[in-house]
This record gives sequence, structure tokens and C-alpha cells, in this order.
Amino acid sequence: MIKVIGFYSTEFGEIWDKSLTALIADATLGALADAKIEKEKIDAVFFANMLSGVLENNLMLPARISEVLGTHKPVFRTEAACASGAIAFHLAKNWLMANPGKTALVVGAEKLTDYSPEEVTAGLAAAASGEEQAAGLTFPGLYAMMAQVYMQKYKYTEENLAYVSHKNHYHGTLNPKAHFRRPVTIDQVLKSAYVAYPLKVLDSSPISDGASAVIVTSDESLAKRSSHAVSVLASETATDSISLKGRTRLDGIEATQIAADLAFSAAKLGRGDIDVAEVHDSFSIAELFAMEDLGFWKKGSAGSQIRDLATMIGKGGKLTVNTSGGLKAGGHPVGATGVKQIGEIYLQLTNQADRRQLKKVKYGLTHNVGGSGGVAVVTILGT
Amino acid sequence: MISPTKIWRRQKTTVKQLGLTGTVVTWTKIFVPSSEYTSLAPFTVVLVELENKDKAFGQLVDFDIKDLKIGMRVKSVLRRVREVEREDVIPYGIKFRPTSA
Repeated sequence: MIKVIGFYSTEFGEIWDKSLTALIADATLGALADAKIEKEKIDAVFFANMLSGVLENNLMLPARISEVLGTHKPVFRTEAACASGAIAFHLAKNWLMANPGKTALVVGAEKLTDYSPEEVTAGLAAAASGEEQAAGLTFPGLYAMMAQVYMQKYKYTEENLAYVSHKNHYHGTLNPKAHFRRPVTIDQVLKSAYVAYPLKVLDSSPISDGASAVIVTSDESLAKRSSHAVSVLASETATDSISLKGRTRLDGIEATQIAADLAFSAAKLGRGDIDVAEVHDSFSIAELFAMEDLGFWKKGSAGSQIRDLATMIGKGGKLTVNTSGGLKAGGHPVGATGVKQIGEIYLQLTNQADRRQLKKVKYGLTHNVGGSGGVAVVTILGT
Repeated sequence: MISPTKIWRRQKTTVKQLGLTGTVVTWTKIFVPSSEYTSLAPFTVVLVELENKDKAFGQLVDFDIKDLKIGMRVKSVLRRVREVEREDVIPYGIKFRPTSA
């Protein structure tokens, strides 16, 4: 059984004084310290990042990580836009299954705030098709187009979406590493400026810097010595066309459904077993899609169910969602996000989540999406 | 600048989508654009199912806001699609206008 034995994340936000490499170093050394192991113990590194090549002409990061760790061990880089982090974790898990007795570092990082919103928006649009880009569509624009279909089909308004941001911002107030640690009301969300109609600033995850790392091992004696180990029960991924043109439906993300079915089947668990989940709320609409496509809520019902706020901390629901603040309030340093989601579930399952700690959590799930739904990764962890 | 080769390559498909009618599948209005489209913002983009069952993206032009909805009938027209420098090849592509206009 593959186990997660350590996690560390930098603060997410505008971190002016740290370069991409410095963020990677902080996360890496923090995770090693958390797992109480020496860097020599790392047999391979899986690194996730999206935009360093596009924005800052900074590539060959495996060799920079070699410098940080002082190692000659293999370092692999993954890129799947916003799903880069969970894909790195997925590959690490597969590598460990093929290599018993080994230990891997998974680190995701992104440096975005050195650039203007227009430059970052253009960079992120690289995860859309050429035709979508040529029409002037942005990333929020693609989710906005899907939101329009969903809202018209199931008769919801912008207010239904706003509850996602309200909930996740409350969770952000409980997470000292969240990009935003202030609550927002439904009214504030509704009065914020449009980014791409019907999505507004407060429906959208921010542009953040940050890095997160986890230590994963197939070394049973090392896992046994760890005071905080959780099992990786499943990590499954599925793909779809890069363009919305090629999708069979626009009121959700089919790749999520496929990855979720595979993951629940591999973990031999049902939807009702999950106590805590970190889902990909890059935009408010995306959390509604996630709840339906992961199979937690019936298709078309998320817009009304979210209004009960049953997935909010302190509401006593069986399933609590995005305790870290999600991407919305927690922040979204693209390559780091999927790794942070796994780290948040790790903290919850090992009772280390401080003020946002849930009671009696046994199974947790993460859901990470790349592009407008072209890649989805679902990971299930258990104690 | 955009490579003239890329413009030439894209026009091979653009020409096949020209002058076709279709139906708006979904739409959005972009308020925060990518850097190349700043001078055009805000602008409306539609995803259209064409009469030949192909789908195409394009900006919507020459329309009345009260007519803008999913299911609206539109026709593809040739328009300049981005801002370029004086010496660059002008990139033409598909935009859509209402069939009623």
C-alpha cells in the first residue's frame, strides 16, 4: 500500500520576496521535515508546474530541483494546466507501485504575481484550443459558457452560484495559509464586477504564488515508523477534448465522472463513505459541476443543494467540502493546487487541520481539473 | 505579431465556415480579456452549431442586446479578429451576426 507520510505548503498569495525556485525549496524542505526524513531518502521527484516556460522563460526545472535537493535522483515534470499537481501525484503513485521500498517527493509550484492580469490571462488561455483563443475566449470565459448552459437548463441564477464563494471564503478564514482569509456575503459576491458574464470576480479563484509538497512512500517500514501516515486508496485520471466544441455536454465535466467512477471502483468505496473532499472550484460553477459529476449530488440539483450549505464546516453534514478554502479562497497557484488538495485531506485524516479540523474523518477525496475539463484526476485517501 | 504561416493555415478552415447560418449553443461576455484583445473589451463570444452540424466559436457583432440568448439564429461573416501592428498581415476570421440584422 502506498502511503502519504508528510506534507508542507507555503502560504498562497502574492509572495513578492520569493522566486519560483525559492518556493519549491520551501515546500520541499518543509515536507521532508514534516515526514522526519533526510533528503537522501528521496528516490524520485515528481514536479508540477504550468506557466514557468510561458511567463518567465524558465524551464529545465528538474535540474533546479536537483540543486535544491543536492541530488542526482530522477526528477520528472508534469504539465496538465490546473491539474498538473494531481497528475504528478498520480505518476508518483504508479512509480511507487512499480518500485517497492522507495520514497518519492511530489512538489507543485507556480509563480504568477510578477505579471499583469492580462499577461497571466493570456498564459492560462494556452490551456484552451487555438480557435477558442482566437475568438478572444479566456479561461473564465469557457467556464462562463458552461455556466450559461447549466443555469438555463436547470433554471438557476447567479445567486445560486454565489453560495460556493460564501462557503469557501468562510473556510479560508480558518486557514492561515489561504490567499484570502476574509468572509464574503452573498450580496458582496453578486455586486462584484464581471470577469466573463455571468461569472464575477468573487466567483473566481485568484492569481496566486505558492508551492506545496507531499512525501509518498512504498517503503513499509518507513510508513510504519511515521506518526502520521494515510493510505492512497485510488488515483485515477480521465481526459476529454481540449475544446468545448468536442464535448458531449456542456452542463458538467464528463472527464470528472469517468475518473470518479474509476476511483471509487479502485478504492472499493461508495460516495456515502467520503467524509471530506477538496474539489476543483476554480470558479463557483465548477464546484457545482464537481458535486454532481463526482456523484455526490444528483445532476441538476447542485444549484439548489448548495443553498443549504450542508458541506460547510460546522453544519454537521456527513460530507464537508473544500475545508482549505478551496481554490476560491485558498488560492490557486496552478501547479501547486492538486498537491495542496491532497495535503489538506492528509491534514484532515491525521487530525492536524487545527481550527478547521473535522471530527471522525476516515475517508477523503480530491478532485483536480485541467483546462475547461480536458483532464480530471480523482484521488481517494483513507486512514 | 502572428506568423503569416499560421494565418494562412487557419484560413484553410475558416473559408469553409464562411456564410453559414447556425444556432447559438452558449455565449459569454468577456470583460477581462487576454492582452491581445484589450482594446476590444468588453466583447461577446458565442459557440454556434452551424447548419452543417460543425461547431464554431466567434465574436458576436451588429446585434441588439435584447436578442442575445441561447438558441438565437446567426450567420458567419468575415471580420478582422485581432489588433496588429501596421506592417503585420491582418488576421481575418469568423465572427457572427444575427440573421435578422
